[in-house]
Amino acid sequence: MTLDHAVWSMLQEALAIYRDSPRASSWLRSHAERFTEPVRVAVAGVQGIGKSTAVNALIGDAFSPLPEFTWYRNGSTAAAQVVCGPRASEVPVTRRGSRVTVDIGQWDKIDRVVVDWPSRSLRDVVLIDTPASATPEQIFGDADAVLYLMRHLRDNDLQFLRSAHDHPIARVAAVNTVGVLARADEIGGGRIDALSSAKQISRRLRRDVQVQPLCQNVVQLAGLIAVAARTLREDEFVALRALASLGREELEDYLLSADRFVGPSFPVDLEASARQGLLDRFGLFGVRLCCALIRQGFDTTVKLTGQLVQRSGLGELRDSIAIHFVERREVLKARTALLGLDVVLRMEPRPAAFRLMADLERAVASAHDFRELRLVAALQGGRTKLPTELEAEAMRLIGAEGTTSLARLGFDYDAPADEQREVLLDALARWQGQASDPHLAHDHRRAAQIVVRSCEGMLTHLG
Amino acid sequence: MAPPWLDVLDETIGACVTHRRPDLEARLREKRAQQMDPKLRVLVIGETKQGKSQLVNALINAPVCAVGDDVTTTVPTFVQHSETPSAALVRNASSRSKIMNAPTERVAVPIEQVTKQVSTTHSGELVRAEIGIPRALLTSGLVLIDTPGVGDTRSAHTASTFATMMQADAVLMVSDATGELTATELALLKQIMSACPNVTVVVTKIDLVPHWRTVVERNRSHLARAGIPAKLLPVSATLRLRAAKTNDQVLNTESGFPELLACLQRDIVASADLLARRAVSVVASSAISQLVTPLREELTAHDSRQTEATISTLQEAQRRVDELRRRSARWQNVLNDEMADLISDVEYDLRDRTRKILREVDRTFDDADPAHGWEQFEQWLEDNLNEAATTNFAWLMERADWVAEKVAKNFPVYREDILPGSVLPEDLLDPVGKLEKPKIEPFTITQKLFTGLRGSYGGVLMFGLVTSLAGMPLINVVSLGAGALFGGKTIKDEADTRLKRRQAAAKAAAQKHVDDFFMKFSKDIRDAGRHIQRSLRNHFATLAEELQETLLESARSAKRAVQDDASQREQRQREARRELDKLVTLYKRVQALGGTAAMELSA
Ligand SMILES: Nc1nc2c(ncn2[C@@H]2O[C@H](COP(=O)(O)OP(=O)(O)OP(=O)(O)O)[C@@H](O)[C@H]2O)c(=O)[nH]1
Ligand SMILES: Nc1nc2c(ncn2[C@@H]2O[C@H](COP(=O)(O)OP(=O)(O)O)[C@@H](O)[C@H]2O)c(=O)[nH]1
Ligand SMILES: [Mg+2]
Ligand SMILES: [Mg+2]
Repeated sequence: MTLDHAVWSMLQEALAIYRDSPRASSWLRSHAERFTEPVRVAVAGVQGIGKSTAVNALIGDAFSPLPEFTWYRNGSTAAAQVVCGPRASEVPVTRRGSRVTVDIGQWDKIDRVVVDWPSRSLRDVVLIDTPASATPEQIFGDADAVLYLMRHLRDNDLQFLRSAHDHPIARVAAVNTVGVLARADEIGGGRIDALSSAKQISRRLRRDVQVQPLCQNVVQLAGLIAVAARTLREDEFVALRALASLGREELEDYLLSADRFVGPSFPVDLEASARQGLLDRFGLFGVRLCCALIRQGFDTTVKLTGQLVQRSGLGELRDSIAIHFVERREVLKARTALLGLDVVLRMEPRPAAFRLMADLERAVASAHDFRELRLVAALQGGRTKLPTELEAEAMRLIGAEGTTSLARLGFDYDAPADEQREVLLDALARWQGQASDPHLAHDHRRAAQIVVRSCEGMLTHLG
Repeated sequence: MAPPWLDVLDETIGACVTHRRPDLEARLREKRAQQMDPKLRVLVIGETKQGKSQLVNALINAPVCAVGDDVTTTVPTFVQHSETPSAALVRNASSRSKIMNAPTERVAVPIEQVTKQVSTTHSGELVRAEIGIPRALLTSGLVLIDTPGVGDTRSAHTASTFATMMQADAVLMVSDATGELTATELALLKQIMSACPNVTVVVTKIDLVPHWRTVVERNRSHLARAGIPAKLLPVSATLRLRAAKTNDQVLNTESGFPELLACLQRDIVASADLLARRAVSVVASSAISQLVTPLREELTAHDSRQTEATISTLQEAQRRVDELRRRSARWQNVLNDEMADLISDVEYDLRDRTRKILREVDRTFDDADPAHGWEQFEQWLEDNLNEAATTNFAWLMERADWVAEKVAKNFPVYREDILPGSVLPEDLLDPVGKLEKPKIEPFTITQKLFTGLRGSYGGVLMFGLVTSLAGMPLINVVSLGAGALFGGKTIKDEADTRLKRRQAAAKAAAQKHVDDFFMKFSKDIRDAGRHIQRSLRNHFATLAEELQETLLESARSAKRAVQDDASQREQRQREARRELDKLVTLYKRVQALGGTAAMELSA
């Protein structure tokens, strides 16, 4: 029985056992519902780090930020509601240019704002923008997975990330966080190579011994530039092209500082207000980057947008969400449901649920998906050691780079099933050898057993 | 132009020569040398990547501090004036001995290479970098200290920042304009304010941020709301460095640096002059009073014109010299006894604190499974040991101050400078670095306590502490794995016994760690105690010698009065009166220097 089947039947069983408890059964029902929804990804981080901007970048529209938990989910038409306890009230959503405003009006207390929005980016995830006042409990309670935005790694960032692991089940399946090095355009003080510098820093953080057990991955993001790129207007493009028509040296003095860029004397015929507009949307670094790119020949809106999206890190962020969250949907959902079940079993223990409690423990301890993820973490954190080339292969086979059989087997093209099977059998034999070699260390052999199990799983799939 | 305090000090030294008091003269000359080479420490601190190093570079227009996009600065860099550019790295002489006062070595490096060398030297060995560079800004004795970012996850960095912080005369707190002051930054500011009230918040990177004025405004209200009376200045190091390269005055003004420099001059260099004047005032007053005493006695002796009375004066002087000798044995006993008590009390206190921690550890692992949350446990243990050490050391300092006062009470006379400036001896902090010289003699009791504390936190506490703890990580009972931990026969064990064994191993590991900590830190504390005792003994012994010399001089002049014939007597009397008048005038000037209401010096 696969993990999600096991968890689903446990939820059903619990619903039957707790039929007579309104509190428990409504909690369990909401978890059963949640089990089938897309993955909920919360965007968290300190105030002003760029959470709302990152959400906008992912959706591709510029929503005015709200000081509330705001859920964005896929919908056939644009609509929004304010949710407060059991009540939900419709509120208007208006669009002006690239700016979208949800007018929530006045409320004493709001649980969350839910925005339905037609967007391809929301097909597989629900994005949750969190307010500055959000506690880790609220965030990790609502979400199945978290994007954690930070500038550099500071003590309080580690504190937040660690708080996610306070629960024993959460610790066993610490699989749901991607770190984001935010405001990448400001790294290096806005130097033109800021974004590649940011990339190197996120690469270092990814390997940091303190970060590895806490984050599946760390990527960089210049959210401001990503939003501007995805919502680039024609008039903006025209203005940028006019700027770029001037030589680099001629423009240099006016791009030294934000103040100079909007100052009264300017060599290009461009209103100060238009320049201010560009600055607000792109930032000084963004303006510099756009000029450089247009001069390099990315001189149409499509070309420019493509470059900006890629360089801003939005591309990598989306990939990370796909690999670590969307592809792992089953595991993440199972994890959330198990945590939910655990709450009920602890809060309202009763003899009829004892067996369920044992099942839960067993599921947590034995689910192969969790084992894979634990091994990924152990290998990354250096707790388990394998020779370098074996480690790389093991990581791939247990799904650290993607859980499709193509990704696991290391194909970068759509290989036919036969070819895949051939590679797989080869890997399987090698790892079976590792698993049964008595000369190898105990944890080495145990790791190999998990890899073997992953290969066997693929074999059944490939048929 | 020589500062006014220098003239007064030189005249006082002259008076000591005239009155044949080489002891006083030597003391004043030492003070003079100290004041001629004052060090004004300006500490540049802030969270990581706010632009601290670049700020220092831009202030002096030279790339002496390493600047980078990822975490860069790991040890403090001291930048001060020198006629020719120079650079040096100060390292632990041996990487093994990590105790306080471990010897350091100073290695000169070419100034162009210092940033590279700092980043390539293994950070555990490096203590700091020192830069000498000819700059007008630095000639007044300003030392700019670049520091590692606070709140960086590598906590030893942070600790060394605080270490230096406590010795600062002024602090530049750096926070960049890409965000407002955070709650952590405000908390840090408060902490700094209590140790060094001369704080300026420098908002950097204003070139990059379109709405930097809003950020500055909001920062001002954050400061006001938190009740932090710090000045706030917006700057851009990038603009300043470019302006220097292209010699562009307008751009330099836009960078905000002219204002920052003016502020440094006005608030730091100027206030340093005030401190110097006060310090000079205290030592000079004390010297003059000592010169006046014998003169006055000579005059009284003459006035009485009674040989008998004069003879009794002579006897009196003799008696007081004997008394001083007797009392001197007493204060030495007091000092020895009190310090012995102190050291044993402080050690007891430390033992008690570590015991409480261990008890808590045992209680925890009676139930908890070390396999879960071992990292948090390590953090907890480190925090608690740190706290124990901090409190213990603060207590040592407090008690030492109290001992100094008690010894002073057993001293035959009271003098304004009877208490030492700091109970911490100068060489406690660092036997090699000349930068560590304490700067200014304090002038009030509260100032004294304050400086004492500053010294304590600055030197021993943080360095001693951090290095005592550094390099002795707790073994991780979890990662050791079952095999190593349980002698290889784990697998068949019941889950419950496994847990029990894990708990026992965790307790043992913690016990050993705490024992190691106690061994090392209690040695540090004992060393510190001995240092303090030695420096107090020196201090009071010098005072006693001076006193004795003054009394002997009184006796000598009384003797002269008895022996002189009438005409000689008159002549000397006129001279003595003239000298006394001179000293009284000088004394008034000395008092005026300190800005205190002139204390009457009866002629
Ligand atoms: N645009 C701009 N960038 C700056 C300014 N000051 C510093 N930077 C950049 O900010 C980054 C960090 O500067 P550093 O001086 O290394 O910062 P730091 O605070 O010393 O960093 P750590 O020592 O690592 O904590 C560098 O890439 C600098 O180029 C400034 O005024 N304007
Ligand atoms: N330069 C720069 N500014 C950004 C970036 N992301 C957000 N900002 C700005 O930072 C401010 C706060 O952003 P917001 O997304 O509302 O932050 P939140 O409080 O975390 O939701 C806004 O002024 C944004 O324009 C970025 O990547 N680069
Ligand atoms: Mg927001
Ligand atoms: Mg630095």
